[in-house]
Amino acid sequence: MAEARTFQLSMSPHFGSPQSTRRVMYDVVIALLPALAGAVWLFGFGGALLPVLLSVAAAVAAEFVCLRLMGRSTSAALDGSAIVTGILLAYNVPPGVPWWLPVLGSVFAIVVGKQAFGGLGSNLVNPALLGRAFLMASFPVLMTAGWSAPFEWRNPSAGFGTSGMPAAQVSTLPEADAVTGATPLRAWKDSFAMDDHEGAAVRENLSTPGTYMNLLTGRRGGCIGETSIVLLLLGALYLFVRKVLEWRIPLAYLGAVALFGWILGGPGFLEGDALFSVLTGGAVLGGFFMATDMVTSPVTRRGRIIFGIGAGLITIIIRRWGGYPEGCSYSILLMNLATPLIDRFTRPRMLGEVRKHA
Amino acid sequence: MTRLRTFPGGAHPDECKELAEKRAVKRIPAPETIRVALCQHLGAPSTPVVKKGDKVTRGQEIGSQNGFISLPTHSPVNGTVAGLEEAPLPHRRSGPVVVINTESEEGGPAFEPWPDFESRTRAELIERIKLAGVCGMGGASFPTYVKLSPPPGKKIDTLLLNGAECEPYLTADHRLMIERTEDVASGMRILARALCVDDPAVGIEDNKPDAIEAFGKAGIRVEVLRVKYPQGAEKQLIKAVTGREVPVGGLPLDIGVVVQNVGTAAAVALAVRDGEPSLRRIVTVSGGGVREPGNFDAAVGTPFSALIAEAGGYGDDVARLLSGGPMMGLAQFTDAVPVTKGTSGIVALTSKEARRLTEGPCIKCARCVDACPMKLVPCLIAVNSEHEKWAAADELGALNCMACGTCSFVCPSDRFLVHYIKRAQDMIRASKRSKEA
Repeated sequence: MAEARTFQLSMSPHFGSPQSTRRVMYDVVIALLPALAGAVWLFGFGGALLPVLLSVAAAVAAEFVCLRLMGRSTSAALDGSAIVTGILLAYNVPPGVPWWLPVLGSVFAIVVGKQAFGGLGSNLVNPALLGRAFLMASFPVLMTAGWSAPFEWRNPSAGFGTSGMPAAQVSTLPEADAVTGATPLRAWKDSFAMDDHEGAAVRENLSTPGTYMNLLTGRRGGCIGETSIVLLLLGALYLFVRKVLEWRIPLAYLGAVALFGWILGGPGFLEGDALFSVLTGGAVLGGFFMATDMVTSPVTRRGRIIFGIGAGLITIIIRRWGGYPEGCSYSILLMNLATPLIDRFTRPRMLGEVRKHA
Repeated sequence: MTRLRTFPGGAHPDECKELAEKRAVKRIPAPETIRVALCQHLGAPSTPVVKKGDKVTRGQEIGSQNGFISLPTHSPVNGTVAGLEEAPLPHRRSGPVVVINTESEEGGPAFEPWPDFESRTRAELIERIKLAGVCGMGGASFPTYVKLSPPPGKKIDTLLLNGAECEPYLTADHRLMIERTEDVASGMRILARALCVDDPAVGIEDNKPDAIEAFGKAGIRVEVLRVKYPQGAEKQLIKAVTGREVPVGGLPLDIGVVVQNVGTAAAVALAVRDGEPSLRRIVTVSGGGVREPGNFDAAVGTPFSALIAEAGGYGDDVARLLSGGPMMGLAQFTDAVPVTKGTSGIVALTSKEARRLTEGPCIKCARCVDACPMKLVPCLIAVNSEHEKWAAADELGALNCMACGTCSFVCPSDRFLVHYIKRAQDMIRASKRSKEA
C-alpha cells in the first residue's frame, strides 16, 4: 500500500465560477466608454475627455493613498472600482468646468464617500453621487451655470435657446432669447414660473418628436456623460449580456420616472410628459449606472423594485417642486440610505416557508 | 420526451463528468488491510461486537445497532480483526474503526435471499433493510429503514429515487443506473412495497440520456430534470418533480414524500432479494489530479490511497483531495481515510481546478441571493456571522442553509459564504440547546 499523503484542508465548495469583482468592475468601465466617445463628440476633448481622465486619475490616486495609509493592499486601487467612481463623477459635472472641480469631487468621493466607511463594499451611499452632491453644495454656480452647448467646441457661435436645445433647433420659438446655461430640464422647470400661455408654449416645444430625437442623440445641454442616451443604452446592453446588470432596478427606476413624470411632472395632474422625463437630465445614466451600484442598492429582488420606484418618485418630486431642476442624484442618494432597511423588510420567502400574513 | 423539470435558483458549474462517465465500473478486491468505520451513517455509531484476534467472515456483524438512528455494521471480508482504533474518517474528524486483515472475499449470502419479496410483509422488508445496514448512499447517509418507518399519522404517497447526480465529476450513480438497472429497479419495487406507494419515479438529469433510456426500457417512470446544481438536493428534487415544498424545519415525510438515492435502492435490492448486507459501493475517482479517472466497486473500509492507485495514481499537481464532489465534498487531510457507505466519489483537484482561497469584500452584487436554491440571503447571513450577530443570522433563516455551496460558487469575491453560514448555524444551535437546558 502506498504511503499516506497529506493535503491542504479548506471549506466547501472547492469549485468557483470564473467571475471576479475585478471583471465586474472593468465590465462597467467598458460599458461607460461609448458614452465617453459621445461626450467627446458633443463637448470636445477639453470639455469632456480631460475632466474624465483627471477625475479617474484623482480617484485612483486617492484610493491608493488611502489604502497605503491604512496599511492595506494597494493593488485594490486598480480593482476597477475607483475607475468607475472617477468616470461617474466626471460624467456628473457640466462640460467645460475648471479642471480642478472633477479632481476635487473624485478625491472627496473616494476619501469621504468610500474609504472612510471601510473601502469597497462598506460604503453606505454611491461615492460618485456623494462627490457630486459635495460639489453641488460647495460650488453651486460652477455646477449649474455655464453649460456649454453641444458642438460649441467646434462652432463657438452655437448657443443655447430657451429650451436648453441648441438655438438652431428652437428657432421656431416665439421668443428665442439667447439664454445660455440652460438644460431642457431647467427650461421645463422655468416654464412653471412664466405666465400660463408662455409656459405652455415652452413645454409644448419640448414635447415634440424632434425634441425627443435630439434628447436621444445628446443634442442638448447637460452633464458630460448624461446626454448620449443611445450610447448609454448601448453600454447598458453590454452589461445585460455580460450578466453584470440585473433588469429590476433600471426598469423600476425608469418606469417610475416615466409614470410619475406623467402623473406629477406637468402643470396639473396627469399633464406631464413621460418620455421627456426619462430622456432628460441624468435619468438614463442614473438608472443604468448609478442606481444599480451593487454596494449601495438592495440585494433582494423585491427590494430592488422598491428601490427603483422610490428613487423614480423622488426624482420627479425634486424636479417639479424641489430647488433643483434635476433630482436624479439626490433621489438615488436618499434611497441608498434606505437600502439596509429595504433589505431587512423584503427578505424572500424561503423554500418551504409559510408566512402568517402575506 | 416529457418536459424538463427544475427548481428555482441554482447554478451551472462545469460538469466535468466526461473524465469518468464512459468508464465501466471495475470491481477491485479488498486490500490487505481495511478499516471499517462503526459510524457509516448519521446517528449513533454501532457498538463493536468483535475484538482483536477474532476471525470474521464476510457479512458477519461486527458492530451492533445502538439506538433508533443507528445501524449494524458488517465485515466486508473474511479475515482477522487486527484491532479497534480511533482513526481519521472522510465524513468526520475521526471515529471508531475495526481494522481487519483481509484473507478472502468468498462466501454465500448472510441472510436468506427473498427473490419473492412480493410475498413478504412490509415489516419484514423494513427489518431486513435495517439488519443489512443499508443507509443513504447519496452522501448524508441517513439509515434507510428509519425513512421507511414514518411516525403514525404521516401518510406517504410518493417515492422518488434520486438519480440526479448533480455534483461535478461524480459518475458513480450514472454508471450504476446503466450497468445495474435491474438492481435499482428491484430496489425501487421493494421500497415502494415497504412504503405502500404506487407509481414511484426516478429523477434523472438530462445529461444522462442512456440512464433515462435504460429505466424507460425497464418500465420505470422517469422524471427528466434539467441539468442544474443542486438538482440532486432532496428538497430541490421534490420541488422539481412534485411542486411541493418541504416545510421549513420539516422533513420530506411531512409532505408525504420519501426520497432514496439510486445507490440506496440497489443496496436494498441486494439486501432483500440476494440476502447481502451493505458491504461495497461504487466510488468515482476523478479530477485533474488523478491519471486515469474511473468508477470502482470497492469494499467499505478500502483506503482512499488504494483507490487512487487503481486510478493510475496522482498527477503532478494535486491541490485538494475530496470525499465527494467539489461543491459539497469534504476536503481530506490524508488519503489514509477509508471508503464509507456514503463515499460517492474521491476527487483530486489540481490547483487550477480548485477554488481560490483568497476572499475579497462583499460588493452586495446579490448573485448569491438570486442563486440560493433555499431562497436565503447568503451575503447578509454571512455579514451577520462575521460580526457574530447570531440572532440576526437566525432571523434571516441561517438554519435552513443546506451548505450546497451555490452561493460561494457564484460569488465574484470568492467569499467563504458556506463557512460563515455554517459557523452561524453551530452558534445558533448551541445557544438554542443552552436555552433548553
